[in-house]
Amino acid sequence: MPRLRAMKAAFEHQARHFLSDPGWLIPNIILPFIITLVALLLYGSSDGPVVMYAVLGGGMMGMWGNTLYASGYSIQSERWWGTLESVLAVPTPLIWIIAGRTIWNALIGVANGLAILAVAVFVLQAPITVADLPLFLLAFLMTLLSLAALGLVFSSAFVLTRQAGVLTNGLEYPIYVATGCMYPIAILPFWTGPLSLSLAPSWGIDAIRIAAGYNPQGLWDGYLGVLDPMVAYAVDIIVVVVMACAYLVIAFYLFGVVDRRARIEGNLGRV
Amino acid sequence: MNVLQSVRVFWSSAVIAKKALFDWLSPGLWLMQLFTMSLFQMAFFVYISAYVGNPQATVAYVAVGNAIQSIAYVAIFAVTNVTTEEKEAGTLPGILVTPANRFALFIGRAMFQVLNSIATVVIALFYAAVLFGVDFSSANLVTLAVVIVVTAFATVGFGLMLSSLGFYLRTSMVVANVFLFMGLLFCGVNFPVTMLPEFLQPIAYIFPITYATDAARLAVGGAGLGEVWSYLSAELVVMVVAILIGYAMMMAFEHLARRKGTLEMF
Amino acid sequence: MPENVIEAQELVRIYRSSTGFLRKKKKETLAVNKVSFSVGRGELFGVLGPNGAGKTTTIKMLTTLLTPSAGTAKVLGFDVTKDPVEVRKRIGLILGGERGLYYRVSGRQNLKYFADLYGVPLQQRDRRIQDVLDMVGLSEKADSKVEDYSRGMKQKLHIAKGILHDPEVIFMDEPTIGLDPQASRETRKLTQDLINQGKTILLTTHYMFEADELCRRIAVINNGKIVAMDTPQGLKGLVRDTAVIEVEGFGIDDKVMDRVRKLDGVRTVSATASESKQVMRVQVCDAGELLSPVTKALDCKVIDVRVKEPTLEDAYLWLVEGHA
Repeated sequence: MPRLRAMKAAFEHQARHFLSDPGWLIPNIILPFIITLVALLLYGSSDGPVVMYAVLGGGMMGMWGNTLYASGYSIQSERWWGTLESVLAVPTPLIWIIAGRTIWNALIGVANGLAILAVAVFVLQAPITVADLPLFLLAFLMTLLSLAALGLVFSSAFVLTRQAGVLTNGLEYPIYVATGCMYPIAILPFWTGPLSLSLAPSWGIDAIRIAAGYNPQGLWDGYLGVLDPMVAYAVDIIVVVVMACAYLVIAFYLFGVVDRRARIEGNLGRV
Repeated sequence: MNVLQSVRVFWSSAVIAKKALFDWLSPGLWLMQLFTMSLFQMAFFVYISAYVGNPQATVAYVAVGNAIQSIAYVAIFAVTNVTTEEKEAGTLPGILVTPANRFALFIGRAMFQVLNSIATVVIALFYAAVLFGVDFSSANLVTLAVVIVVTAFATVGFGLMLSSLGFYLRTSMVVANVFLFMGLLFCGVNFPVTMLPEFLQPIAYIFPITYATDAARLAVGGAGLGEVWSYLSAELVVMVVAILIGYAMMMAFEHLARRKGTLEMF
Repeated sequence: MPENVIEAQELVRIYRSSTGFLRKKKKETLAVNKVSFSVGRGELFGVLGPNGAGKTTTIKMLTTLLTPSAGTAKVLGFDVTKDPVEVRKRIGLILGGERGLYYRVSGRQNLKYFADLYGVPLQQRDRRIQDVLDMVGLSEKADSKVEDYSRGMKQKLHIAKGILHDPEVIFMDEPTIGLDPQASRETRKLTQDLINQGKTILLTTHYMFEADELCRRIAVINNGKIVAMDTPQGLKGLVRDTAVIEVEGFGIDDKVMDRVRKLDGVRTVSATASESKQVMRVQVCDAGELLSPVTKALDCKVIDVRVKEPTLEDAYLWLVEGHA
C-alpha cells in the first residue's frame, strides 16, 4: 500500500499548503464568481428559467478552476521552491502524489462551486429549481470526478514545462467556451462539436441541467438526436464515467512519459 | 546631465525587464498566448450575449469591449509579474544601492508592456471583425488607433500602481487578479455601466478601461477625435494619478523597508 | 594625513518583530549595539564574527540599505542617512550568494544594466565591462546565461558588478562563503589586487585565516558589539601568554571536550573533524602544567598530542567564548 500512503500524504500536504496560504487561490475563486455575476446581469433581462444557465454555469466554473489547475500550480510552486527534483526522486510514481493533491483540490472545487451557487441563489435571489435532487447530486459528483481525472492529465504537462502558469491561463477560457457551461453547445460553430464532446464536463453539465429540469437545446434535444430526458441523463452519465476512466488511462501513460523525459531533459531544477 | 542619465536608466530598465524578467516565455508560447487569450474570452462572452439577446449588450458591444479589456491582462498582470520576478531574483538590493533615479527605474520596467498591450488589442479587434462579425466598415481608424495607444499607456500606468501595492505585500498577483476581474464587471466591457446597481457605478470611473471601451465603440462607429477627446483626457488623468500614487507608494515602501529591515524580502 | 574613509559612530540597529497570532508580543532584537570604528584610505578592514553577530546588518547600514536606529555613519564624508545618493555613487557592495543576479540573461548583460544604473560613461562602458570581466576571470563565460554559472562564477559576477563603476570604497559581505578552495583563493587574490589599486575595502567574514591573511586591521564583533579591534598580530597578542595543546585522535566527542573544558587553566576547547578522525584544540594558560591533566582526561584513542603557538582563531574563540 505504499502508493496509497503516498497519495494520502500528498493529500494532506496539499491541504496544509492550501490552509496556510489560500490567497493564491483567489484568482481561481474570484474569476468564476465574477463571470457568474456578469452572466447574471446579462441574463437578468430575460425571464424565466434561462437564468439557471448563469447560475449553474457559474457553479460549474467554480468547481472546475480549482480542480483542473491547482495541481498544475502546485507543481509550478515546487519548481520555484526547488523541491521538484526531490519529489521525482522518491520511489512512488509521481502520478500518485499528484492524484492525492488533485483529490484535495477537487474537494475545494466543490466547496467553491457550492458557494457560488449559494450566493447566486440566496444573496442575488436568482431563481433556481431542481427537479430531481438525487440525480442532480449524482451528476454533480460524476462531473467532479471526471474533472479531477482531466486535471491529472493536464498536470503531466505542467511537470515538463516551465511555463505551467501560461498553460493554465491559456486553457481556462477555452474550456469554458467548449463545454457550454453558460449556453448550449448547439449555438457554437458546428466544427467545434468534436472538441466539445471530447470533454467530459460537456456531458456532465448536460446531465446536471436535465436533473435541474431546464435544458433547452441540450445534447439530446436535437443536437445529437432526440431522447427521452431520463434516457438522455443515463447516457450522459455513462459517457462521463467512461471518459473519466479514459482520462485516467491517458494520465497514467503521460506520467510515465513525463517521468522519462524529465530525467532526460534534466531541467526540473531550473525555474 | 541628470536628465540624460535618468533616460538611460529608464531605457535600460525597460530592456532588462523585457529580457530577464519577462522574456522567459519561449517565443512560441508567447505568440500563442498573444493570439489565443483574447480570442477565447471574447468567444465566451459573445456567445452568452448571442444566446441571451439583450439589446443593451449586443454581440458587437461585447466583442469590442472584450477587445479593449484584453489590454488589461497584459498591462496589469504582466507589469505585476515583472515586479514579482524581480523580487524572486533578489536583485532589488543590488539596484537600490545604486544612485539610479527611482522614478526612471519604476517607469522603465513597464515600457515593453505598452507595446505588448497594443499588439494584443489590435489582434483582438481583428478577431472581433473577422470571427464575430463586428462591422468595421464605417470605423474611423485614426481615432481607434489613438484610443488604443492612449489606453495602452493608461492601463500600464494603472498596472504600475497595482504593482507598487503588491511590492510590499507578498501576494501582488492576487491584487492584480482582483483588479483584473473587477475590470470585467465594472468597465462597461460586457454591458453598460448603467446596468450596474447605482451605488456601484462610481467605481467604474477609476478604471481607464471604462473610458476606453466607450471611446473605442464610438471610433468603430465612425466618430472623430473630437468626439472621443473627453474620454481620452479622462484616461490620461487616471494614468497620471495612478503613476504618481504608484511612485509615491514605491518610495514609501523603500523607505519603510530600510527602516524595518525587510529589504531581504525584496 | 590619512583621512577616514568610513566612519561609524555608535551605530545601533534594533529589529522589531511581533510573534504570536492572537496576542501579539513585541520583540526587540538589538542586532548592532553601539558599534564605532573608522577605516582609513587604502585600508583593508575586516569585520570578523560568528553568524548572527551583526556583520551583515552593519554593512547594510553603511551602504544605505538600512537606516540606523541610532548613531551616525559617514562614507567619504557623506552621511549615509542624509546623503544616500552621494554615498551610493562612490561605493560598491558585494553581497554574494545565489540571488541578486538576473538569471535569464548573460553575465555581460547583467553588467551592462548595472553600468547604466551607475552611470558609467557610455563611451567607456563596454571597455570597462570587458576589463572587469578579465579582472575576475569571467571573460570566457561572459555571454552565457547566469543560470548556467557555477557558484564560483556567480560570485565572480557579483564582484564584477560591485567594482564596475570604479568605486573608491568597496564593501564585501562574506565573499568566499560557499566557494571551493580554488575559487576562494582567486577571490582573495582579487581583493588584494583591489587594495593595490588604492581602493578601501571593508570585508566581513567568519573565516579566521582569511582575515589573518588579508586584513590590516580586524574588528571582532559578537552579539552586536565590538569585542576587540586591532591588527591580526595585536589580536593574537591577546592570547600570547597562552598555548594550544592540539590532540589528534578518534572518538573525540562532546563528552570529552566538556571534561577537558572543566579543567583548571583551560580557556577554550574547540574541535574539527577530518575524515574519520578529529583534532581538538585546547587553549591553556600554561602548556607545561596542563599537558598531563589534559591527556589524562582523554578516554579516546589518541594518535598525536602537540603543543602549538596560538593562532588568530584561538584569539577569536577566546574573545567570542571565553571572554566575559
